[in-house]
Amino acid sequence: MIQFTDVAKVYPNGTVGLKDVNLRIDDGEFIAIIGRSGAGKSTLLRSINRMHPITSGNLNIDDVDVEKLSSRELRRLRRRIGMIFQSFNLVTRTTVIRNVLTAFVPDMPLARRVLGIFRRQDKLKALECLDKVGILEKAFTRVDQLSGGQQQRVALARTLAQNPSIILADEPVAALDPVTARVVMDDFKKINREMGITVIINIHHVELALEYCDRVIGIKEGMVVFDGPSSHVDQKVLSLVYGEIDEKE
Amino acid sequence: MRRNDSTSLFDRLFKPVTYTLSDGHQVTQKRSRLPLVLVLIVVATIVSGEVTGFSFSTLVRRIGYFFVILRDMFPPDWAYMPRVWQPLMDTIKMSLLGSFIGALLCIPFSVLCASNLIHNRFVTAFFKLFYSVVRTLPTLVIALIATYIFGLGTFAGTVAIAVFTFAYCGKILYEQIETADMGSYEALEALGMGRLSTIRYAIWPQVFPQFISTVLFCFEGNVRYASILGYVGAGGLGLILNERIGWMEYARVGMILIALFITVVIIETVSSYLRSKLI
Repeated sequence: MIQFTDVAKVYPNGTVGLKDVNLRIDDGEFIAIIGRSGAGKSTLLRSINRMHPITSGNLNIDDVDVEKLSSRELRRLRRRIGMIFQSFNLVTRTTVIRNVLTAFVPDMPLARRVLGIFRRQDKLKALECLDKVGILEKAFTRVDQLSGGQQQRVALARTLAQNPSIILADEPVAALDPVTARVVMDDFKKINREMGITVIINIHHVELALEYCDRVIGIKEGMVVFDGPSSHVDQKVLSLVYGEIDEKE
Repeated sequence: MRRNDSTSLFDRLFKPVTYTLSDGHQVTQKRSRLPLVLVLIVVATIVSGEVTGFSFSTLVRRIGYFFVILRDMFPPDWAYMPRVWQPLMDTIKMSLLGSFIGALLCIPFSVLCASNLIHNRFVTAFFKLFYSVVRTLPTLVIALIATYIFGLGTFAGTVAIAVFTFAYCGKILYEQIETADMGSYEALEALGMGRLSTIRYAIWPQVFPQFISTVLFCFEGNVRYASILGYVGAGGLGLILNERIGWMEYARVGMILIALFITVVIIETVSSYLRSKLI
Protein backbone atom coordinates (compact mmCIF):
# COMPACT_ATOMS: atom_id res chain seq x y z
CA MET A 1 0.00 0.00 0.00
CA ILE A 2 1.24 3.45 -0.94
CA GLN A 3 0.04 6.35 1.21
CA PHE A 4 0.60 10.04 0.37
CA THR A 5 -0.13 12.41 3.27
CA ASP A 6 -0.03 16.17 2.56
CA VAL A 7 2.83 15.60 0.11
CA ALA A 8 4.37 18.70 -1.49
CA LYS A 9 7.36 19.15 -3.72
CA VAL A 10 9.05 22.45 -4.53
CA TYR A 11 11.98 22.34 -6.96
CA PRO A 12 15.17 24.25 -6.05
CA ASN A 13 14.29 26.97 -8.60
CA GLY A 14 10.96 27.60 -6.87
CA THR A 15 8.70 25.67 -9.25
CA VAL A 16 5.90 23.88 -7.44
CA GLY A 17 5.88 20.21 -8.50
CA LEU A 18 3.28 18.83 -6.10
CA LYS A 19 0.93 20.42 -3.58
CA ASP A 20 -1.41 18.96 -0.93
CA VAL A 21 -1.34 15.45 -2.36
CA ASN A 22 -3.30 12.90 -0.34
CA LEU A 23 -3.67 9.48 -1.91
CA ARG A 24 -3.99 5.87 -0.91
CA ILE A 25 -3.05 3.21 -3.42
CA ASP A 26 -3.80 -0.40 -2.48
CA ASP A 27 -1.91 -3.48 -3.60
CA GLY A 28 -2.92 -4.84 -7.00
CA GLU A 29 -4.53 -1.64 -8.29
CA PHE A 30 -4.16 -0.57 -11.93
CA ILE A 31 -4.06 3.23 -11.94
CA ALA A 32 -3.76 5.87 -14.65
CA ILE A 33 -2.45 9.32 -13.82
CA ILE A 34 -3.65 11.91 -16.32
CA GLY A 35 -2.95 15.61 -16.70
CA ARG A 36 -1.30 18.11 -19.01
CA SER A 37 2.45 18.17 -19.62
CA GLY A 38 4.13 19.80 -16.68
CA ALA A 39 1.16 19.23 -14.36
CA GLY A 40 3.27 17.04 -12.06
CA LYS A 41 2.51 13.51 -13.27
CA SER A 42 6.17 12.50 -13.55
CA THR A 43 6.99 14.15 -10.24
CA LEU A 44 4.20 12.23 -8.53
CA LEU A 45 5.36 8.94 -10.03
CA ARG A 46 9.03 9.51 -9.27
CA SER A 47 8.39 10.58 -5.71
CA ILE A 48 7.21 7.01 -5.00
CA ASN A 49 10.69 5.50 -5.45
CA ARG A 50 12.35 8.76 -4.41
CA MET A 51 13.95 9.39 -7.78
CA HIS A 52 12.61 12.87 -7.00
CA PRO A 53 12.55 13.48 -3.23
CA ILE A 54 9.51 15.31 -1.84
CA THR A 55 9.96 18.48 0.22
CA SER A 56 7.17 18.08 2.77
CA GLY A 57 4.51 15.65 3.92
CA ASN A 58 4.74 11.89 4.29
CA LEU A 59 5.03 9.17 1.69
CA ASN A 60 4.69 5.67 3.11
CA ILE A 61 5.03 2.37 1.30
CA ASP A 62 3.74 -0.51 3.41
CA ASP A 63 4.01 1.80 6.45
CA VAL A 64 7.66 2.61 5.77
CA ASP A 65 8.43 6.32 5.39
CA VAL A 66 10.25 6.54 2.06
CA GLU A 67 11.90 9.85 2.90
CA LYS A 68 13.53 8.45 6.05
CA LEU A 69 15.30 5.51 4.39
CA SER A 70 19.07 5.30 4.34
CA SER A 71 20.63 4.98 0.90
CA ARG A 72 21.05 1.23 1.41
CA GLU A 73 17.42 0.80 2.49
CA LEU A 74 16.31 2.99 -0.39
CA ARG A 75 18.12 0.73 -2.87
CA ARG A 76 16.41 -2.28 -1.28
CA LEU A 77 13.04 -0.55 -1.68
CA ARG A 78 13.78 0.26 -5.32
CA ARG A 79 14.49 -3.45 -5.95
CA ARG A 80 10.76 -4.02 -5.29
CA ILE A 81 9.60 -1.17 -7.55
CA GLY A 82 9.89 -1.58 -11.29
CA MET A 83 10.10 1.48 -13.48
CA ILE A 84 9.26 1.91 -17.17
CA PHE A 85 10.13 5.03 -19.15
CA GLN A 86 8.81 6.80 -22.23
CA SER A 87 12.18 6.52 -23.97
CA PHE A 88 12.74 2.92 -22.70
CA ASN A 89 16.14 3.80 -21.14
CA LEU A 90 17.86 0.60 -22.17
CA VAL A 91 21.59 0.30 -22.68
CA THR A 92 21.29 0.33 -26.46
CA ARG A 93 24.84 -0.70 -27.28
CA THR A 94 24.52 -4.11 -25.73
CA THR A 95 22.32 -7.18 -26.16
CA VAL A 96 18.74 -7.60 -25.03
CA ILE A 97 19.59 -10.32 -22.51
CA ARG A 98 22.35 -8.27 -20.89
CA ASN A 99 19.81 -5.49 -20.35
CA VAL A 100 17.44 -7.88 -18.63
CA LEU A 101 20.27 -9.37 -16.58
CA THR A 102 21.06 -5.95 -15.08
CA ALA A 103 17.99 -6.52 -12.90
CA PHE A 104 19.99 -9.16 -10.96
CA VAL A 105 23.09 -7.04 -10.46
CA PRO A 106 22.13 -5.50 -7.08
CA ASP A 107 21.90 -8.97 -5.54
CA MET A 108 25.20 -10.29 -6.92
CA PRO A 109 28.42 -10.63 -4.92
CA LEU A 110 31.00 -7.94 -5.58
CA ALA A 111 33.38 -9.96 -7.76
CA ARG A 112 30.69 -11.08 -10.20
CA ARG A 113 29.18 -7.59 -10.21
CA VAL A 114 32.48 -6.05 -11.27
CA LEU A 115 33.28 -8.69 -13.86
CA GLY A 116 29.73 -8.90 -15.20
CA ILE A 117 29.50 -12.68 -14.94
CA PHE A 118 25.96 -14.05 -14.68
CA ARG A 119 24.96 -17.51 -13.51
CA ARG A 120 23.13 -19.91 -15.79
CA GLN A 121 20.02 -19.79 -13.61
CA ASP A 122 19.93 -15.98 -13.87
CA LYS A 123 20.20 -16.24 -17.64
CA LEU A 124 17.32 -18.73 -17.69
CA LYS A 125 15.25 -16.40 -15.50
CA ALA A 126 16.00 -13.48 -17.84
CA LEU A 127 15.00 -15.58 -20.86
CA GLU A 128 11.74 -16.53 -19.14
CA CYS A 129 10.95 -12.85 -18.60
CA LEU A 130 11.62 -12.16 -22.27
CA ASP A 131 9.33 -15.05 -23.15
CA LYS A 132 6.54 -13.58 -20.99
CA VAL A 133 6.54 -10.40 -23.10
CA GLY A 134 6.84 -12.44 -26.31
CA ILE A 135 10.26 -11.33 -27.43
CA LEU A 136 12.40 -14.37 -26.59
CA GLU A 137 13.82 -14.74 -30.11
CA LYS A 138 15.47 -11.31 -29.83
CA ALA A 139 17.43 -12.23 -26.69
CA PHE A 140 20.87 -12.05 -28.28
CA THR A 141 20.21 -9.12 -30.60
CA ARG A 142 21.66 -5.71 -29.88
CA VAL A 143 19.01 -3.35 -28.50
CA ASP A 144 19.65 -0.60 -31.06
CA GLN A 145 18.42 -2.96 -33.77
CA LEU A 146 14.94 -3.29 -32.25
CA SER A 147 11.84 -1.22 -32.93
CA GLY A 148 10.36 1.04 -30.27
CA GLY A 149 7.65 -1.44 -29.31
CA GLN A 150 10.19 -4.25 -28.99
CA GLN A 151 12.46 -2.05 -26.87
CA GLN A 152 9.61 -1.20 -24.53
CA ARG A 153 8.92 -4.92 -24.09
CA VAL A 154 12.61 -5.48 -23.29
CA ALA A 155 12.27 -2.76 -20.65
CA LEU A 156 9.19 -4.55 -19.34
CA ALA A 157 11.12 -7.84 -19.20
CA ARG A 158 13.93 -6.11 -17.28
CA THR A 159 11.35 -4.85 -14.80
CA LEU A 160 9.73 -8.30 -14.47
CA ALA A 161 13.16 -9.83 -13.79
CA GLN A 162 13.27 -7.62 -10.70
CA ASN A 163 10.18 -9.46 -9.45
CA PRO A 164 8.61 -6.18 -8.33
CA SER A 165 5.46 -5.63 -6.27
CA ILE A 166 4.85 -2.21 -7.84
CA ILE A 167 5.48 -1.02 -11.40
CA LEU A 168 5.71 2.70 -12.15
CA ALA A 169 5.39 3.54 -15.85
CA ASP A 170 6.15 7.06 -17.06
CA GLU A 171 4.40 7.60 -20.42
CA PRO A 172 5.21 4.02 -21.49
CA VAL A 173 3.29 4.20 -24.78
CA ALA A 174 3.80 7.86 -25.76
CA ALA A 175 6.60 6.97 -28.18
CA LEU A 176 4.73 4.05 -29.76
CA ASP A 177 2.24 3.75 -32.61
CA PRO A 178 -1.42 3.07 -31.64
CA VAL A 179 -1.27 -0.67 -32.38
CA THR A 180 1.99 -1.28 -30.53
CA ALA A 181 0.71 0.90 -27.70
CA ARG A 182 -2.20 -1.53 -27.25
CA VAL A 183 0.12 -4.52 -27.26
CA VAL A 184 2.19 -2.95 -24.48
CA MET A 185 -0.94 -1.93 -22.53
CA ASP A 186 -2.19 -5.53 -22.84
CA ASP A 187 1.13 -6.65 -21.33
CA PHE A 188 0.62 -4.29 -18.40
CA LYS A 189 -2.91 -5.54 -17.88
CA LYS A 190 -1.77 -9.15 -17.98
CA ILE A 191 0.99 -8.43 -15.47
CA ASN A 192 -1.46 -6.63 -13.20
CA ARG A 193 -4.14 -9.35 -13.34
CA GLU A 194 -2.01 -12.50 -13.35
CA MET A 195 0.83 -11.50 -11.07
CA GLY A 196 -1.08 -9.07 -8.84
CA ILE A 197 1.51 -6.33 -9.30
CA THR A 198 0.35 -2.77 -8.58
CA VAL A 199 0.68 -0.79 -11.83
CA ILE A 200 0.71 3.01 -11.89
CA ILE A 201 0.87 4.60 -15.34
CA ASN A 202 1.30 8.20 -16.46
CA ILE A 203 -0.56 8.47 -19.71
CA HIS A 204 -1.65 11.09 -22.23
CA HIS A 205 -4.05 8.84 -24.13
CA VAL A 206 -7.26 9.25 -22.17
CA GLU A 207 -9.11 6.59 -24.14
CA LEU A 208 -6.41 3.99 -23.36
CA ALA A 209 -6.43 5.05 -19.71
CA LEU A 210 -10.19 4.61 -19.44
CA GLU A 211 -10.18 1.32 -21.31
CA TYR A 212 -7.38 -0.40 -19.40
CA CYS A 213 -7.15 1.13 -15.93
CA ASP A 214 -9.53 0.69 -12.99
CA ARG A 215 -8.86 4.01 -11.34
CA VAL A 216 -7.91 7.43 -12.70
CA ILE A 217 -6.07 10.21 -10.87
CA GLY A 218 -6.19 13.66 -12.49
CA ILE A 219 -3.41 16.12 -11.75
CA LYS A 220 -3.47 19.84 -12.43
CA GLU A 221 -0.78 22.30 -11.36
CA GLY A 222 0.62 19.80 -8.86
CA MET A 223 -2.70 19.06 -7.18
CA VAL A 224 -4.99 16.04 -7.37
CA VAL A 225 -8.19 17.41 -8.93
CA PHE A 226 -9.84 14.06 -9.64
CA ASP A 227 -9.53 10.62 -8.10
CA GLY A 228 -12.05 7.92 -8.87
CA PRO A 229 -12.97 4.85 -10.94
CA SER A 230 -12.53 5.18 -14.70
CA SER A 231 -16.30 4.83 -15.18
CA HIS A 232 -16.79 8.19 -13.43
CA VAL A 233 -14.60 10.07 -15.89
CA ASP A 234 -16.75 12.20 -18.19
CA GLN A 235 -16.34 15.38 -20.22
CA LYS A 236 -16.70 17.51 -17.08
CA VAL A 237 -13.86 15.71 -15.33
CA LEU A 238 -11.65 15.98 -18.41
CA SER A 239 -12.13 19.73 -18.74
CA LEU A 240 -11.38 20.02 -15.01
CA VAL A 241 -8.10 18.14 -15.47
CA TYR A 242 -7.05 19.52 -18.83
CA GLY A 243 -8.50 23.04 -18.46
CA GLU A 244 -10.27 24.98 -21.17
CA ILE A 245 -9.29 24.28 -24.74
CA ASP A 246 -8.63 27.92 -25.64
CA GLU A 247 -6.42 28.47 -22.61
CA LYS A 248 -3.00 29.81 -23.64
CA GLU A 249 0.17 27.78 -23.11
CA MET B 1 15.79 27.49 -15.75
CA ARG B 2 15.66 31.20 -16.40
CA ARG B 3 18.55 32.82 -18.27
CA ASN B 4 19.99 36.17 -17.31
CA ASP B 5 18.51 38.49 -19.92
CA SER B 6 20.99 41.37 -19.81
CA THR B 7 22.25 42.02 -23.35
CA SER B 8 25.88 41.35 -24.20
CA LEU B 9 28.30 44.15 -25.10
CA PHE B 10 28.31 43.08 -28.73
CA ASP B 11 24.53 43.37 -29.02
CA ARG B 12 24.61 46.81 -27.44
CA LEU B 13 27.23 48.05 -29.92
CA PHE B 14 25.64 46.44 -32.96
CA LYS B 15 21.90 46.72 -32.45
CA PRO B 16 19.84 43.64 -33.41
CA VAL B 17 17.51 44.01 -36.38
CA THR B 18 13.82 44.04 -35.58
CA TYR B 19 11.32 42.85 -38.13
CA THR B 20 7.73 44.03 -37.75
CA LEU B 21 5.07 41.98 -39.49
CA SER B 22 1.89 43.46 -40.96
CA ASP B 23 -0.13 42.24 -37.96
CA GLY B 24 2.14 44.08 -35.54
CA HIS B 25 4.09 40.98 -34.30
CA GLN B 26 7.77 41.64 -33.82
CA VAL B 27 10.81 39.39 -33.98
CA THR B 28 14.44 40.42 -33.44
CA GLN B 29 17.53 38.90 -35.04
CA LYS B 30 20.90 39.42 -33.37
CA ARG B 31 23.77 40.63 -35.56
CA SER B 32 26.06 37.90 -36.84
CA ARG B 33 29.30 37.38 -34.89
CA LEU B 34 31.12 36.12 -37.99
CA PRO B 35 32.87 39.41 -39.04
CA LEU B 36 34.17 39.84 -35.50
CA VAL B 37 35.54 36.27 -35.46
CA LEU B 38 37.24 36.76 -38.85
CA VAL B 39 38.92 39.97 -37.69
CA LEU B 40 40.16 38.19 -34.55
CA ILE B 41 41.61 35.29 -36.60
CA VAL B 42 43.46 37.63 -38.97
CA VAL B 43 44.86 39.70 -36.09
CA ALA B 44 45.95 36.54 -34.24
CA THR B 45 47.72 35.21 -37.36
CA ILE B 46 49.67 38.45 -37.90
CA VAL B 47 50.59 38.78 -34.22
CA SER B 48 51.79 35.17 -33.95
CA GLY B 49 53.91 35.62 -37.10
CA GLU B 50 55.55 38.68 -35.56
CA VAL B 51 56.12 37.05 -32.18
CA THR B 52 57.68 33.83 -33.50
CA GLY B 53 59.77 35.67 -36.07
CA PHE B 54 58.42 33.49 -38.86
CA SER B 55 60.01 34.53 -42.12
CA PHE B 56 58.67 33.19 -45.37
CA SER B 57 61.78 34.23 -47.32
CA THR B 58 64.09 32.21 -45.03
CA LEU B 59 61.84 29.22 -45.50
CA VAL B 60 62.17 29.47 -49.30
CA ARG B 61 65.92 30.18 -49.21
CA ARG B 62 66.94 27.36 -46.87
CA ILE B 63 64.48 24.62 -47.86
CA GLY B 64 67.08 23.16 -50.25
CA TYR B 65 69.26 21.99 -47.32
CA PHE B 66 66.49 19.66 -46.27
CA PHE B 67 66.92 17.76 -49.53
CA VAL B 68 70.70 17.69 -49.12
CA ILE B 69 70.30 15.80 -45.84
CA LEU B 70 67.56 13.64 -47.31
CA ARG B 71 69.85 12.69 -50.24
CA ASP B 72 72.59 11.69 -47.78
CA MET B 73 70.19 9.27 -46.10
CA PHE B 74 69.89 7.23 -49.29
CA PRO B 75 70.85 4.58 -49.80
CA PRO B 76 70.46 3.68 -46.12
CA ASP B 77 73.15 1.63 -44.40
CA TRP B 78 71.46 -1.79 -44.35
CA ALA B 79 74.33 -3.34 -42.41
CA TYR B 80 73.38 -1.13 -39.47
CA MET B 81 69.97 -2.83 -39.09
CA PRO B 82 71.03 -5.47 -36.48
CA ARG B 83 71.96 -2.62 -34.13
CA VAL B 84 68.51 -1.01 -34.65
CA TRP B 85 66.43 -4.01 -33.51
CA GLN B 86 67.04 -3.68 -29.78
CA PRO B 87 66.17 0.07 -29.52
CA LEU B 88 63.20 -0.44 -31.84
CA MET B 89 61.83 -3.18 -29.58
CA ASP B 90 62.46 -0.94 -26.57
CA THR B 91 60.45 1.81 -28.23
CA ILE B 92 57.51 -0.51 -28.93
CA LYS B 93 57.64 -1.99 -25.44
CA MET B 94 57.68 1.47 -23.86
CA SER B 95 54.68 2.65 -25.82
CA LEU B 96 52.68 -0.55 -25.38
CA LEU B 97 53.20 -0.82 -21.63
CA GLY B 98 52.91 2.94 -21.10
CA SER B 99 49.66 3.16 -23.07
CA PHE B 100 48.20 0.22 -21.14
CA ILE B 101 49.09 1.60 -17.71
CA GLY B 102 47.94 5.12 -18.59
CA ALA B 103 44.63 3.87 -19.99
CA LEU B 104 43.87 1.76 -16.90
CA LEU B 105 44.74 4.60 -14.55
CA CYS B 106 42.58 7.21 -16.23
CA ILE B 107 39.32 5.24 -15.78
CA PRO B 108 38.69 6.11 -12.10
CA PHE B 109 39.91 9.67 -12.57
CA SER B 110 37.59 10.25 -15.54
CA VAL B 111 34.62 9.03 -13.51
CA LEU B 112 35.54 11.61 -10.85
CA CYS B 113 35.62 14.29 -13.56
CA ALA B 114 32.20 13.51 -15.02
CA SER B 115 29.70 16.08 -13.79
CA ASN B 116 26.75 13.83 -14.68
CA LEU B 117 27.97 11.15 -12.24
CA ILE B 118 29.57 13.25 -9.50
CA HIS B 119 27.28 16.03 -8.37
CA ASN B 120 29.85 17.77 -6.19
CA ARG B 121 31.08 20.58 -8.47
CA PHE B 122 34.30 21.04 -6.52
CA VAL B 123 35.34 17.42 -6.98
CA THR B 124 34.78 17.45 -10.75
CA ALA B 125 36.43 20.87 -11.15
CA PHE B 126 39.43 19.69 -9.14
CA PHE B 127 40.01 16.55 -11.22
CA LYS B 128 39.42 18.41 -14.48
CA LEU B 129 42.03 20.96 -13.43
CA PHE B 130 44.34 18.09 -12.51
CA TYR B 131 43.97 16.63 -16.02
CA SER B 132 44.61 20.05 -17.58
CA VAL B 133 47.78 20.50 -15.55
CA VAL B 134 49.10 17.05 -16.50
CA ARG B 135 48.19 17.67 -20.17
CA THR B 136 50.13 20.93 -20.33
CA LEU B 137 53.37 19.04 -19.57
CA PRO B 138 54.93 18.00 -22.88
CA THR B 139 55.83 14.30 -23.05
CA LEU B 140 59.48 15.18 -23.57
CA VAL B 141 59.52 17.22 -20.35
CA ILE B 142 57.81 14.40 -18.43
CA ALA B 143 60.41 11.99 -19.80
CA LEU B 144 63.21 14.36 -18.73
CA ILE B 145 61.76 14.59 -15.20
CA ALA B 146 61.30 10.81 -15.15
CA THR B 147 64.96 10.24 -16.02
CA TYR B 148 65.92 12.39 -13.01
CA ILE B 149 63.68 10.32 -10.75
CA PHE B 150 64.06 6.79 -12.15
CA GLY B 151 67.41 7.11 -13.91
CA LEU B 152 68.21 6.80 -17.61
CA GLY B 153 66.56 4.06 -19.65
CA THR B 154 63.30 2.66 -20.88
CA PHE B 155 61.57 2.76 -17.49
CA ALA B 156 61.58 6.56 -17.53
CA GLY B 157 60.23 6.47 -21.08
CA THR B 158 57.44 4.11 -20.07
CA VAL B 159 56.44 6.42 -17.24
CA ALA B 160 56.40 9.43 -19.60
CA ILE B 161 54.20 7.58 -22.10
CA ALA B 162 51.86 6.42 -19.32
CA VAL B 163 51.45 9.96 -18.00
CA PHE B 164 50.72 11.32 -21.46
CA THR B 165 48.22 8.54 -22.25
CA PHE B 166 46.59 9.05 -18.86
CA ALA B 167 45.97 12.75 -19.52
CA TYR B 168 44.96 12.39 -23.17
CA CYS B 169 42.67 9.34 -22.96
CA GLY B 170 41.34 10.53 -19.60
CA LYS B 171 40.12 13.82 -21.02
CA ILE B 172 38.39 12.11 -23.94
CA LEU B 173 36.90 9.45 -21.66
CA TYR B 174 35.31 11.93 -19.25
CA GLU B 175 33.88 13.91 -22.15
CA GLN B 176 32.32 10.71 -23.48
CA ILE B 177 30.94 9.85 -20.06
CA GLU B 178 29.42 13.31 -19.79
CA THR B 179 27.65 12.95 -23.14
CA ALA B 180 26.47 9.39 -22.44
CA ASP B 181 22.73 8.72 -22.45
CA MET B 182 21.58 9.04 -18.84
CA GLY B 183 18.27 7.27 -19.49
CA SER B 184 19.68 3.82 -18.83
CA TYR B 185 21.52 5.23 -15.80
CA GLU B 186 18.22 6.44 -14.37
CA ALA B 187 16.59 3.09 -15.11
CA LEU B 188 19.27 1.06 -13.32
CA GLU B 189 19.26 3.48 -10.40
CA ALA B 190 15.49 2.98 -10.20
CA LEU B 191 15.88 -0.78 -9.99
CA GLY B 192 18.01 -0.43 -6.88
CA MET B 193 21.62 -0.38 -8.07
CA GLY B 194 24.30 1.51 -6.20
CA ARG B 195 26.38 4.21 -7.82
CA LEU B 196 29.33 2.04 -8.88
CA SER B 197 27.19 -0.76 -10.31
CA THR B 198 25.13 1.79 -12.24
CA ILE B 199 28.28 3.23 -13.80
CA ARG B 200 29.53 -0.28 -14.54
CA TYR B 201 26.28 -1.40 -16.23
CA ALA B 202 24.77 1.77 -17.75
CA ILE B 203 27.70 4.05 -18.62
CA TRP B 204 30.55 1.60 -19.24
CA PRO B 205 28.88 -0.33 -22.11
CA GLN B 206 28.21 3.01 -23.82
CA VAL B 207 31.73 4.38 -23.60
CA PHE B 208 33.82 1.19 -23.74
CA PRO B 209 34.16 0.67 -27.54
CA GLN B 210 34.98 4.34 -28.09
CA PHE B 211 37.44 4.27 -25.21
CA ILE B 212 39.36 1.29 -26.57
CA SER B 213 39.44 3.04 -29.93
CA THR B 214 40.88 6.17 -28.29
CA VAL B 215 43.51 4.13 -26.48
CA LEU B 216 44.56 2.40 -29.71
CA PHE B 217 44.78 5.75 -31.46
CA CYS B 218 46.85 7.10 -28.60
CA PHE B 219 49.10 4.02 -28.78
CA GLU B 220 49.77 4.70 -32.48
CA GLY B 221 50.91 8.21 -31.63
CA ASN B 222 52.91 6.93 -28.67
CA VAL B 223 55.11 4.77 -30.89
CA ARG B 224 56.17 7.94 -32.67
CA TYR B 225 56.57 9.88 -29.42
CA ALA B 226 58.55 7.06 -27.84
CA SER B 227 61.04 7.16 -30.70
CA ILE B 228 62.20 10.65 -29.75
CA LEU B 229 62.20 10.15 -25.98
CA GLY B 230 65.75 8.79 -26.30
CA TYR B 231 66.86 12.38 -26.87
CA VAL B 232 66.50 13.03 -23.17
CA GLY B 233 67.91 9.63 -22.25
CA ALA B 234 64.64 7.77 -21.82
CA GLY B 235 65.70 4.84 -24.04
CA GLY B 236 64.53 3.57 -27.39
CA LEU B 237 65.27 4.67 -30.95
CA GLY B 238 65.80 8.33 -30.04
CA LEU B 239 69.02 7.39 -28.28
CA ILE B 240 70.76 6.03 -31.39
CA LEU B 241 68.99 8.57 -33.62
CA ASN B 242 70.51 11.40 -31.60
CA GLU B 243 73.95 9.73 -31.68
CA ARG B 244 73.97 9.10 -35.43
CA ILE B 245 72.78 12.64 -36.24
CA GLY B 246 75.53 13.93 -33.96
CA TRP B 247 78.12 11.91 -35.95
CA MET B 248 76.46 13.04 -39.20
CA GLU B 249 76.08 9.40 -40.27
CA TYR B 250 73.03 10.15 -42.35
CA ALA B 251 72.97 6.75 -44.06
CA ARG B 252 72.48 5.15 -40.64
CA VAL B 253 69.91 7.80 -39.70
CA GLY B 254 68.11 6.81 -42.90
CA MET B 255 68.12 3.15 -41.76
CA ILE B 256 66.66 4.06 -38.37
CA LEU B 257 63.95 6.22 -39.95
CA ILE B 258 62.97 3.48 -42.43
CA ALA B 259 62.71 0.95 -39.60
CA LEU B 260 60.56 3.38 -37.62
CA PHE B 261 58.42 4.21 -40.65
CA ILE B 262 57.66 0.56 -41.40
CA THR B 263 56.88 -0.14 -37.74
CA VAL B 264 54.53 2.83 -37.49
CA VAL B 265 52.74 1.86 -40.70
CA ILE B 266 52.24 -1.72 -39.48
CA ILE B 267 50.96 -0.59 -36.08
CA GLU B 268 48.65 2.01 -37.58
CA THR B 269 47.22 -0.50 -40.06
CA VAL B 270 46.53 -3.07 -37.36
CA SER B 271 45.10 -0.47 -35.00
CA SER B 272 42.81 1.18 -37.53
CA TYR B 273 41.56 -2.27 -38.55
CA LEU B 274 40.79 -3.05 -34.91
CA ARG B 275 39.15 0.34 -34.41
CA SER B 276 36.91 -0.13 -37.44
CA LYS B 277 35.73 -3.41 -35.88
CA LEU B 278 34.94 -1.72 -32.56
CA ILE B 279 32.34 0.88 -33.47
